[in-house]
Amino acid sequence: MITDMLRRVFALVKKEFITIWKDPKSRGIIIAMPLLQLFVFANAITMEVKNIDTVVIDRNNSQETRELLSRFKHSPRFRHLYVVDDEKEFKHKIDTQNVQIGIYINNDFSSSLKSNRQPVVQIISDGRQTNSASIASGYASQIVSEYISENSTLKGASINPVVRNWYNPNLEYRWYLLTILIPMLALVITILLTALSIAREREMGTFDQLIVSPLSSFEILLGKTIPPLVIAMGLTCFMTISVVVFFRVPFMGSILLFLVSIFISLLSIVGVGLFISSICSTQQQAVLGVMTFQMPAMLLSGFISPIEDMPVFWQGITWINPVRFFMTLSKGIFLKGMSVQDIIYNLIPLVIIAVITLSLAGMTFKRKLG
Amino acid sequence: MYTVEIKNLVKTFDKAKAIDNLSLNIEKGKITGLIGADGSGKTTLIRLIIGLLVGDEGEITTLGLNPVTQKEELNYKIGYMPQKFGLYEDLTVIENLRLYADLKNEPYDFDKLLEFTVLSSFQNRLAGALSGGMKQKLGLACTLIGTPDFLLLDEPSVGVDPISRRDLMKMVRDLISPQTTVLWSTAYLDEAHSFDTTIVLDKGKVIYEGKPHDLAPTAQEFENKIIDLMGGYKKEKSLIAENYIPIKTNLSCTVEADNLEKKYGDFYAVRNNSFCINRGEIFGLLGPNGAGKSTSFKMMCGLTKPGGGTARIMGIDILKDPAKARSNLGYMAQKFSLYGSLTVRQNLEFFASAYGINFLNRTKRVDEIIDVFGFGAVQNRLSEDLPLGFKQRLSMACALIHNPPILFLDEPTSGVDVVTRRDFWNHITSLAKKGVTILVTTHFMDEAEYCDRISLFYKGETIAIGTPDELKQKANANNMEETFITLIKESEL
Repeated sequence: MITDMLRRVFALVKKEFITIWKDPKSRGIIIAMPLLQLFVFANAITMEVKNIDTVVIDRNNSQETRELLSRFKHSPRFRHLYVVDDEKEFKHKIDTQNVQIGIYINNDFSSSLKSNRQPVVQIISDGRQTNSASIASGYASQIVSEYISENSTLKGASINPVVRNWYNPNLEYRWYLLTILIPMLALVITILLTALSIAREREMGTFDQLIVSPLSSFEILLGKTIPPLVIAMGLTCFMTISVVVFFRVPFMGSILLFLVSIFISLLSIVGVGLFISSICSTQQQAVLGVMTFQMPAMLLSGFISPIEDMPVFWQGITWINPVRFFMTLSKGIFLKGMSVQDIIYNLIPLVIIAVITLSLAGMTFKRKLG
Repeated sequence: MYTVEIKNLVKTFDKAKAIDNLSLNIEKGKITGLIGADGSGKTTLIRLIIGLLVGDEGEITTLGLNPVTQKEELNYKIGYMPQKFGLYEDLTVIENLRLYADLKNEPYDFDKLLEFTVLSSFQNRLAGALSGGMKQKLGLACTLIGTPDFLLLDEPSVGVDPISRRDLMKMVRDLISPQTTVLWSTAYLDEAHSFDTTIVLDKGKVIYEGKPHDLAPTAQEFENKIIDLMGGYKKEKSLIAENYIPIKTNLSCTVEADNLEKKYGDFYAVRNNSFCINRGEIFGLLGPNGAGKSTSFKMMCGLTKPGGGTARIMGIDILKDPAKARSNLGYMAQKFSLYGSLTVRQNLEFFASAYGINFLNRTKRVDEIIDVFGFGAVQNRLSEDLPLGFKQRLSMACALIHNPPILFLDEPTSGVDVVTRRDFWNHITSLAKKGVTILVTTHFMDEAEYCDRISLFYKGETIAIGTPDELKQKANANNMEETFITLIKESEL
């Protein structure tokens, strides 16, 4: 009995590999997409703010203000400094997004500094680009306050905090991005492959042929689960190695635990993919189904904004999102060597999600016969 | 006056000549039938004539225009119905008609079309919810909008029941003007026999051109002549049946339907369907499109859950023990449904293992099947690249790989040429003699003659059951087609 079953499942798995490989669409999904995305994400996308252009009105025009502005000139984050005379031009530069921030220095800057009064410098940032604006103005105010504290006897802000960034000491944005890119790509590939697989067979009419054979629903499910899982595992390992070797991101955790976590995470995503696939009758519907799942799953995973910052209701929703745990695990094990206990806490929901989605998919196979 | 003039036309696909130095004239105001084996170049020729393909050499003039350079001008004058007509399944009948009228810049004048298609009362039904025959009629109606000068129909009657087939013919004959030229590609030779002219294609060449009545006075003789023209068919002993190992059983009914029933909403797709098929019997399910025979068929093999009643395969309830029941079953679906991206051998291997044949026997069995079916030369080719006749044989091979005592065939010959059909039925009848029980659905009434017993289905119920001769007597008719139409009309009264 068992050998019969294994034989049938093996036949299905083998067939699945051949069809995935021979279909140029699936081949593209497996090979081209991860490489392309890895390349694009690692090189083009950054949330660091560099090359800030600034417009300045210097009403004081003193030695002190010139010294202050030269600090901007020499900072690696700032690029051009446009010194203008009238407010109109100042506004125009910001309006046309020629510059990201504007600095207005009052005519009492040097006198305030000399008489130990707090000088006022106004920093205007472009609120249309919320994130980069606040980062840029942060850099600017840092430079200004550093200058003031060095050049006056004012000891107002005498606390000088020393910041250490754990797990990513230089706050390399790439580290964060790449460790998250691994689960993200694995997710996209797995879910597309699984979602397309049954829908494709339905479209071609081969699914009837499968149902009419002695293969049971469970065997079909198994045969459909293994190939995408194997492919996604392989890709994850490949991407992990690339990230460590080419981008020099240190791998801090246990490789075994990492693989186990990835495996369980992918299993839960295969479940979602198969569920989508089993309720769709064409590949087009399956692709739409994938998109419907994927976007909110990404947004609610903590990738774009931290889960802790979401409204309570949405925080609750993230508990049914496999991607959330997948991201936490990947990032955690990769960069900080997450403890076994923490890993298990994140794995439990994933196991539950996997069991639910896989059994739902198995049930819908039969239901669809109705 | 000629509508189409072709001189020395050549069209090559990947080094294979689809059209080989072909010269042809199609007379104006006549209905011309285009026949030929699968892959003989019928569809390619039609597409070349209307400029959907560009020939490599030679000249084509269609309605006095060059179909490539003057395609836009030509488009207004022709009506083309491809094999799969592009009906929008999510639009209703009337919305489809309006859409095609808009595309052709014609007024919304559908009364006559709706009357002829008998679709008047279904105007607001979604095209996707129509039966196969009705879809084809709607497709033809959309093609006929604006009364084109030249009508090209590419196998419009594939998968259509005899009544709808007559309707299609009547629509064309009644709705065109005497000046309209029709080019009609078909696999039904009785249809072709009724046309004005016949063109027989073989390997991209015209092998016969003339009046069908000159070739043979009756449709039956016409068919034999055409088979001769296509190289002839010699009935040989079926190697496939020779290799079949009979399975002994004491069951009187190897396939049994017991009060099968299926309801969709308030509508009974099938009701009170009971039959018992004996070992070695060929049992035909016949009926118009949408009569419920597909539903019955699907319930029999466990693709659809019955609303009531039981289906038994070798005495096993298909719902209670599906795996065991199905291991006795070979299934061949209507459209080619094997894995196109797998080679012939891989397909056979896959189905062999899916049916639980172990590794050692598998290689032996696959080799044997390849040998018996004559797949030696194509075994490593992708199955999607094979000609239709081969695909159909491959489907049959996969259905037979586990030596099943029962074979289910769902319109196995739809779209297949006449020689391949004869060969196919030779194997089927030989297998039945060896004790294989066969359940088959078909729209070819000549094929119904091969059945030992027939169940005629209409509006979800069996209206007649018996041997072909019994049914003919009952209907007082000479052939199965008349029998079919008479019995259905009688049941309507």
